[in-house]
Amino acid sequence: MNKTLLHIIRFVVLVLVQVLLVNHIRLGGYVHPYVYILFVMLLPINISNWQLLLLGFGLGFCVDMFTGTPGLHAGATTLMAFCRPGILRLVSGSQKLENVHEPDLGQLGGGWFLRYVLFLVVIHHFALFLLESFSFRLLGQVLLRILLSVPVSVFLIMMILYLFKRDKKNEAL
Amino acid sequence: MYNLRRFILKHHFVILFILLEVISILLLARSQNFHRNRLVNGTNTVVGKVLESSSEVGNYFRLSKTNKELAEENAMLREQLSIVVDTMERSYDLVDSDTVYEYIPAQVVNNSTNQANNYIIINKGSVDGVERDMGVVSTKGIVGVVVDVGKHYASILSLLHSKSFVGVRFKGNQELGSLRWNTNDYRHGMVEDIPTHVELHQGDTVLTSSYSFIFPEDLMVGTVDELQSMASGTFNKARITFATDFATLRHVYVVKHHYKHEIDSLKSKFEP
Repeated sequence: MNKTLLHIIRFVVLVLVQVLLVNHIRLGGYVHPYVYILFVMLLPINISNWQLLLLGFGLGFCVDMFTGTPGLHAGATTLMAFCRPGILRLVSGSQKLENVHEPDLGQLGGGWFLRYVLFLVVIHHFALFLLESFSFRLLGQVLLRILLSVPVSVFLIMMILYLFKRDKKNEAL
Repeated sequence: MYNLRRFILKHHFVILFILLEVISILLLARSQNFHRNRLVNGTNTVVGKVLESSSEVGNYFRLSKTNKELAEENAMLREQLSIVVDTMERSYDLVDSDTVYEYIPAQVVNNSTNQANNYIIINKGSVDGVERDMGVVSTKGIVGVVVDVGKHYASILSLLHSKSFVGVRFKGNQELGSLRWNTNDYRHGMVEDIPTHVELHQGDTVLTSSYSFIFPEDLMVGTVDELQSMASGTFNKARITFATDFATLRHVYVVKHHYKHEIDSLKSKFEP
């Protein structure tokens, strides 16, 4: 399938899954998982920096349209996109990424992906909950939200990755 | 000029990043001021359509519960009607038939309960006569206030919002208080500014007061859950349980006050 089309479909599907399903998860008021950021994580490794930032901003803004919080998700996702090249280098270490086109579970392995997802989710959630509390929530509560939400988000994202793990012959999501 | 271009090209990643973050924070800061801002919220038609079709699927699964609630409301209305008919028969005067409030039925297409500031989107807008600052009630109790109106959709500032504020009255002793939401729990609100001499008991009924003109008087708000006395000061707080179940909210009514504009223009004469 055409690569660009694949990314567009992934964008739409993840935004819809986030606003129609995941946003309605209610686990005691402190757990707010976010999975739409998987789109940014799966962008090609050699994507140009400005494309990466604009896509991150656009993605966050789409989610904002649904939740009625203009700028909140856009800001957090832009920061995450900004950190992605650094995190890629940090997570890979000596491992060469030259012949890897885009982050792929089959090629890079579960351990690599878990670390990659964990770092980016922490950055995103940190920015998101801090921005949200801008006017009103106390730092202790923000930290508790981050602490409880990060594991759930990471779990959901890894689950989606394994569910749609690409077979050699069948290129699904 | 050449140097500037080279600088921008070299650092475009950081510059673009800062630019996008500044835009985000400006948008966010503007939306904090909810009264002056047109929310990007579901009043947008495309977003509204998506949310509506998703909520229709959800509605289907709740049909039996909704039926039951409507039947209960029906029973309650019949009961009230019988009282009215009774009064009419006994008195020679005609009951004043000029109604002040009109109820516009609407369906919830999007609703959140777990954010710091929650909004509700309904499928009625300016075409249906919905205007800003109208109250919204469910069959069980009050829900919120309209803050933004599109053509076919409107967004409501839920009671579950850090800036929500409603004047309330306790049923037993007629004392006043103000309802806010700072409990972070979609089932409970906090009534503040209760004078310390007021005696409250668990289970006391909390109703809307008559001073707001947003909600009709004596609508159900909730019941007292726990009284919290302050060590100092002259005011107590009481935690209440909302009568409205925000988690399963589906059918609501927008309350239209026929003389609201008149009252507002009178009020504005006193306020500079």
